[in-house]
Amino acid sequence: MAGGQAGILTNSRIRDRGVLDLAMSRVTLETLPDYARYLIAAAEGASASYPVTRKIRLPRLELTGHLGPGVLADALGHAFVETRGDQPESSRCRIFIAHPGIHGIPEPARWGDAHFTEHGFAKRLAEAGLRGHHFHDLDFWQFYDPQRRVGVQLMGSADAFPPWEPGAPLRAFLHWEYAARGMRLAHAGTLGANGKGVLLAGAGGAGKSGTVAAGLLNGLDSVGDDYVLIDLANGVTARPLFSTLKQDPQGFARLGLKRRVPANAPLNWQGKHAFHIGDIAPRPVPAMLDIVALMVPHISGGGASSIMPVSRRDAMIALAPSGIAQMPGERESGFRFFSDLTRLLPCYRLSLGTQPQEIAGTIAEFLARGAS
Amino acid sequence: MRHADVYAIASKDVVFESFDGEAVVLDLSSGKYFGFSDSGSKIWQALSSGVDAQALIGLTAGASTIGPAELDRFVSQLVELRLLTRSDAPAQPLPGDLLAELAATSEPLNVSIHDDLADLIIVDPIHEVEEPLGWPAVKQAS
Repeated sequence: MAGGQAGILTNSRIRDRGVLDLAMSRVTLETLPDYARYLIAAAEGASASYPVTRKIRLPRLELTGHLGPGVLADALGHAFVETRGDQPESSRCRIFIAHPGIHGIPEPARWGDAHFTEHGFAKRLAEAGLRGHHFHDLDFWQFYDPQRRVGVQLMGSADAFPPWEPGAPLRAFLHWEYAARGMRLAHAGTLGANGKGVLLAGAGGAGKSGTVAAGLLNGLDSVGDDYVLIDLANGVTARPLFSTLKQDPQGFARLGLKRRVPANAPLNWQGKHAFHIGDIAPRPVPAMLDIVALMVPHISGGGASSIMPVSRRDAMIALAPSGIAQMPGERESGFRFFSDLTRLLPCYRLSLGTQPQEIAGTIAEFLARGAS
Repeated sequence: MRHADVYAIASKDVVFESFDGEAVVLDLSSGKYFGFSDSGSKIWQALSSGVDAQALIGLTAGASTIGPAELDRFVSQLVELRLLTRSDAPAQPLPGDLLAELAATSEPLNVSIHDDLADLIIVDPIHEVEEPLGWPAVKQAS
């Protein structure tokens, strides 16, 4: 391991440590950091073999993806809201999306330790200065070295990725990179006007996506309906990362999205319509929203929407669990981050009526009152 | 209860934060969250900082008096949830402001468990994708 090249294993060292043997067999908690470094080294070593390179400009980050053609390459081309203009304090990271069809890339190993916990897996890697995630069904591995800003996503074949990956590609890597800088991907929707916005927190099914779509269709802005980048450095700000919006067929019909969005694409893995924020947004997606409130949406079934105070404890429990569960590793830092966020904002329960225009009007009125 | 009932946080994986006096606890190892009522939050804070449980009996909380059976149930629950464990450390004195803070509470001793997004994977995993979550929930093999 040469000085500044922390984490890179040379071929001879790989052989010495038996990591090649390990790569062909099963990974245990003990060998996990070596396997992660081996894969990162193998992916970097094959850098000339990736047919496609995609550069994506995100808030304070330029991500370069090296991969083959196909669904993921297409997703890297259209699933992000790219940042415009010059960016101060921007960093660069490289992610290799690899599979054995690319020269020099090994077959993925299997998890061989009988005892697996998400937390134990993440803790073991964190002790070695690394981050990672493993999806057992597909022998799908993601490893990231935040110090060197290099990551690898190893798949058994070009299309052996989890079905949610194209909607929010490389989400785990963005989570690790931004967490290392004190920012955070939150599992939350957003709506805003005139640069001010609200964060909509809650697990799937709480009404986040439908509320965001209702707002966009009725003149409000949004920086995302599922995952947004939160920074607490100067108040609470939310920035866009992913352009994908989702709606189940009932919501799609109720919101009249058929008239706005081409509905001939197949439903996604959740049986939902997937489309892009630009399809329904009234204006270009803002670079940032100053978040003025945390709202917990709730489908009330009643006629009119309402916004009532809710305890910070309940808001935190609505916000944090899905954000932490869906982002591998960094649990304690996430808990502290979301706690700080919750303390910085007034918290409300948003009881959702049935009419999209009325829901959007309720939030617009709240923002106008709060911003005045 | 024994002569001195002193407890400590069960592991380094149990972390907590307080919001306007109400505690939220996360067990990092399992991903389970615990939300405490206002009086439960005060008792959690006292117990987790080493106050003798017996010193809490008879105090006013949630518009009533904390009885031994009620406290015993609450403490047993926290031990079963692996949030607290018995400690041999010397008991700490009651914080000076605890009595007034407890007296100002309005809810009974209670902790709610939020484990719908907790890790379910313990052994050789069998995965199932829970569609509403947008992320795989991993079910424990039987």
